[in-house]
Amino acid sequence: MTTQAKFNQTKKYKNKLRQDAIFKMLFQASAILSSSMIFVIIAFILIKGLQPFMEAYQYGTRDFFSFLVGTVYRQDSGIYGVGFIIVNTLISGFGALVIAFPLSVLTALFIAKIAPKRVAQGMQTVVELLASIPSVVYGVFAAGSITILVKNLAALFAIKTAGGSSLLAVMLLLAIMIYPTITSLAITSIQAVPEDLEHASLALGATKTQTNFKIVLASAKSGIFAGAILGLGRAFGEATAVSMVAGNKLFGPTFNLFDITRTLTSTILTGLKETTGVDYDIRFSAGIVLMAVILISNLSINFVKNRIGHKS
Amino acid sequence: MKNKRQLLKDRLLNTMTFLSSGISVLVLSMVFIFVISRGYSTLNWKWFTNDYWSVNMYLGFQSSTQESYTKPTGLSSDVSFSSKYGFAVVDYVDEAKQNLIKIVYIDPKSPLLETTILTPGDTFGNAQSMKTNMTIQKFTYVDSSGISHSAGAIIKQNASQFIETLDTQSVSVTSAYTQTIGGGIRGSLIATLLLILVSLLIAMPIGIMSAIYLNEYAQYSKLTPWIRSSIELLTGVPSIIFGLMGMLVLYPITARLGANGTSVLLGAMTLSIVLLPTIIRSTEESLKTVPDHFRSASLSLGANMSQTIFKIVLPSAIPGIMTGVLLSIGRIIGESAALIYTMGTFVNDKPGLLSGGTSLAVQIWSVMGGEVPNFQLASAISIVILVIVLILNVSVKFLANKLRKTW
Repeated sequence: MTTQAKFNQTKKYKNKLRQDAIFKMLFQASAILSSSMIFVIIAFILIKGLQPFMEAYQYGTRDFFSFLVGTVYRQDSGIYGVGFIIVNTLISGFGALVIAFPLSVLTALFIAKIAPKRVAQGMQTVVELLASIPSVVYGVFAAGSITILVKNLAALFAIKTAGGSSLLAVMLLLAIMIYPTITSLAITSIQAVPEDLEHASLALGATKTQTNFKIVLASAKSGIFAGAILGLGRAFGEATAVSMVAGNKLFGPTFNLFDITRTLTSTILTGLKETTGVDYDIRFSAGIVLMAVILISNLSINFVKNRIGHKS
Repeated sequence: MKNKRQLLKDRLLNTMTFLSSGISVLVLSMVFIFVISRGYSTLNWKWFTNDYWSVNMYLGFQSSTQESYTKPTGLSSDVSFSSKYGFAVVDYVDEAKQNLIKIVYIDPKSPLLETTILTPGDTFGNAQSMKTNMTIQKFTYVDSSGISHSAGAIIKQNASQFIETLDTQSVSVTSAYTQTIGGGIRGSLIATLLLILVSLLIAMPIGIMSAIYLNEYAQYSKLTPWIRSSIELLTGVPSIIFGLMGMLVLYPITARLGANGTSVLLGAMTLSIVLLPTIIRSTEESLKTVPDHFRSASLSLGANMSQTIFKIVLPSAIPGIMTGVLLSIGRIIGESAALIYTMGTFVNDKPGLLSGGTSLAVQIWSVMGGEVPNFQLASAISIVILVIVLILNVSVKFLANKLRKTW
């Protein structure tokens, strides 16, 4: 090989290596950018949301404590208390979970263990379809049918509702929306239960149904709880559909199922016309509270799960 | 005895699982029945291309030369044709259940094509011809004794009465009050397409490159689990928080690019962050299915790492990437909370990248939010969204099967 050819070859390799290094840097940069997004979100919303409670706040400092435990939220008179809204959010979310959780687990069991293969496939498709319906469509459905159902139900007890917009309507809507989430995670975890366990149970004389309910469900517990956590997060964070049926209660908390309510997300969505001022900034504070509520409820469910785990 | 009781108990429990499955089927069919029964009557091809806002126009005729026009053969029998002025109309009922008269045909030589705007303002005197699909509120005509009269929907005439009045009693027409048909979704359709295009353009490269880094370069790095879980954390963030973030973090960027207030670009940038975890996960899944001996073969033939990735690994991973794209499109079409802040809720008939607009989902939110919620329009848009989402779901399943079959 001539010197020139050798030189060209090394140059070619060098270029190739440089190209490699550049691409590696590019890939690395994208990965770091993607992973840093969550911190960007948290940091910016924290900074913006805590501003109204700082001393230097230009629209008049708010008291953080009375914001957190307040029971009145009136933009027109400048009173911002989200305490009752937190309670409302928790009630509607856990209420939805109470409705959806048993249905989800039973359906998952039906699909994974009981139904014939054809039926199971069909049901799986139904669950997937329910999961893929956008929340705003559920909102239209809820505003047009669930509210009427609630109104008629209330009329049976001679209670007047605000056109059916009520805590019960929110719960039913959220239950429908989190049902597919919990069900699909429960199906996955039921299918992952080792067959040995079932065989052992059957060999000991338990019936198929006893095995399903006592062995399979118990072993799939961790995945089912993960689904519940995911569902609860969705219930707390759901915005558009909820605000179509929640009404906008100015004080609270709402314990009456037929009374209108207000959740953190519907609070963030109301009055979105403003672009400056306290009304604008306070929504970021509500955003912080929302994220905190989701985080804390996740942690507590995890805690409960571990406690149950120790007992069995 | 004990066995019998156990059997009964078993059967009861099984029935319960069956019933709860039944409830989900019931709910799904109720949703479908609801939107179809409420929205079906609005669905037609014109609706896709119509503007949302109807525009009123007060127009004056320049010439009212009467000729005798002949009815073209293509028109159906329920159409009333004016042989004096050369246009045809039908009865039309709009969304608000008002009886209107709609123009369906205008002769090329008709005086209806030579009209000017009479509404006072900047556009006064500008030429503005009447078009098909406009509705006629009224025509002002002059009869043989020189007296002006009104004809049209405003005096509760239907199409055939209106044409009969014009053809038998009028000598000339002087002015007309017309309206374009509104309630359409063209603007939202365009904005949704723009939104899909731009957010994928931003999210796809970043997402795919991140997935490549995680799977090809840093599989065993200590940092990788951290990067992966911080990306996963994004999936748990409620979409309304993304909306707040977009308003706060990304708004200054779009403002610098020339957007005034909320814009489609801002919505797309916000959504691209929402989409990142989906794209990264599905790309990574498919990168994992590419067998390692593909990479080894390429590397041993002298290709470098980036050549291997772009020429060998990525082409083999295309079905998985496509799955990610389809899932992302589904997410974009259904997304509302993150877009309400970033794209605005004003239905814009001429959306652009830097101007506000609504996606289909946000238009639903917008028409439901008024004093009187417009269920009919909202349900009709819901049908469109559901159909698209259904198609996407089927394609994702199809792709997943394909992915499983290869090697």
